[in-house]
Formats: sequence, structure tokens, C-alpha cells
Amino acid sequence: MSVSFVLRAGERGYARLVSTGVNATYVAGHPDGVITRHSSFNFHEYQSGLAGFGSIRVFGDEVFSPGGTGYNMHPHHNFIICAFVLGGALTHVNTIGKVDELRAGDYYVFSAGAGGKHAELNIGQEDTRIIYLWVLPSQLLAPPSYLRGRFDAKANANRFACLIGNEPGALPIGQTLKVTRLVTGRNSTPVYRPSPARGVYAFVVEGEARIGDIILGSGDSMALTGEDRIEIAARSGTDLLLVETAL
Amino acid sequence: MKKYLCLGCGFSYDEARGLPEHGITPGTPWADIPDDWICPDCGTPKSGFEMVEIPYWSRT
Repeated sequence: MSVSFVLRAGERGYARLVSTGVNATYVAGHPDGVITRHSSFNFHEYQSGLAGFGSIRVFGDEVFSPGGTGYNMHPHHNFIICAFVLGGALTHVNTIGKVDELRAGDYYVFSAGAGGKHAELNIGQEDTRIIYLWVLPSQLLAPPSYLRGRFDAKANANRFACLIGNEPGALPIGQTLKVTRLVTGRNSTPVYRPSPARGVYAFVVEGEARIGDIILGSGDSMALTGEDRIEIAARSGTDLLLVETAL
Repeated sequence: MKKYLCLGCGFSYDEARGLPEHGITPGTPWADIPDDWICPDCGTPKSGFEMVEIPYWSRT
């Protein structure tokens, strides 16, 4: 097994953003509003870690406190921004003209392309937890687009579900990329088979999974290359994301 | 002529196109842009850009 890196939860970049002071316009919410962000790759002030993996540049594990906290409308180009809501609710507003409400299990693919803005807000009464994945596009300045999907954990228990990529039922994306989720209700050992010459970034949202001789707990992640078969021994109650990317 | 992408927001700079609206004439090499230049959209420093070899979108 060829392991590119193992990144423990506590080794990730950490940022705590409040809605007052220098970030008062960037961060939405009442004065007590707080965003916490754990970054697997270099992002904003965090620049002492990994640059990325394949076409992945951002993998942020974020929590927005209740009461309108989040990111005010701000601009993007080019990046394909994917969001996976893990808990609470997310209000997404974009300049394509979409206002969307996403709850746990919902996810979107927002391709900023030639230019778009978005706001991300928690207007609910509980914390919102979201994974943000940013991917380099295969073409610059494409027309912006927004698609949303839903992951049904019960219907997909103990097996791989493709959320994004070139598979039936998955959201298409303008990049050689596939995002797969595994949620287990019992100890399971499914085998993931990447396409040739791809790398796989595995992130444990919750629970515990063993890949080869490496045990990953909540917030831990690793990247693999040169594999055509990845056996994942996941304990009951594990929630895992796999991002397969061209290298 | 190379292209650079802001890792803070995705804003792209193309040496061939420059950024005339921001006072950078077409054909300006990345190396000639001052080190204290920041992304016009999000303020990310010049060091937070990555050189990319990605073609422009085309309808075909």
C-alpha cells in the first residue's frame, strides 16, 4: 500500500472566526457568532501544512454556531466548491439565483467558474457542521452552476454511496473526481476500487476505520496512491468520506 | 504565458491577458507583479497563488 500521508485530527489547521473585528464583514451572525474550521490543507492563514492532494485544494471541517452565523456573500471564481452538511441546517444563497436550505445528508456542488458569489448561513437553533471541499476545475471560467443532492444514510447503510462523480444517481462534476460516503450500522469491511492512476483521500467524519495497518479515528484522514483495491474495516457507527482524484 | 489561481477564492491571473482594470497591462509576467500585490477579489497575498495549466472553458 502506498500511503501519501496520514493526517491526524489534531494536526489539521485550526481557525476560530468571530463575527466582530477584522472579520466583521466576512463572518455573518450576531456578535457571539463563531465559526470553527479545521483545515486538512493550507487555507487562508494556515500555510504550514499540506498544499493539497490531486485536484483537492481545500478540505474544511467547519462548525457554524446558531443565530445566523456563517459567511456573508463573497466572491469566487473557478473553484468547484462542494459542501456536505453533516448536522444542523445550512442556508446557501448564490448569484446564480439559488436560495437553498440544506440539512444533514444534503450536499451541493457549486462551480464558481467565470464568477459567482455565495453566502453560507446557519439560521437554525443548533450548530451546523459542514465539510467544504474545493477542487480545481478542468477548465477555467466555465459558466457557473449549482447542483444539490441528498445522501440517504438508511438506504445506503454499510455500503459505498457515490455522491459526486460519473455514476448513476451522483451529481456530475467538471473534473476527474469522485466523492463516496460510507455510513455503517455494523462492523463492515467493504472494498473500494479506485480507477487506475487515481489517488484517494479518506476522511473519517465519525467513528473508526482501519485501512491497511493504519487506524483512523474521528477527524483523522489519509491519502493513498497506486491502489486498485482498498479494504476499509469500519466499526459500527462510522461515517467516512472518500475523495478519488486524478493525480 | 502562464496562468495563476488564487487559492483563497479562485480568482485567475493570466499573463497574456493581464488585468487592465487593475492597472496590469496584458503581457505582464507574474514575476513583474510586486510581491505586495494582493488578490483584487479577496486580498490573498501574491504568495497564495498557484501556477496552473488549465485551459479555458469552451463550448465545444
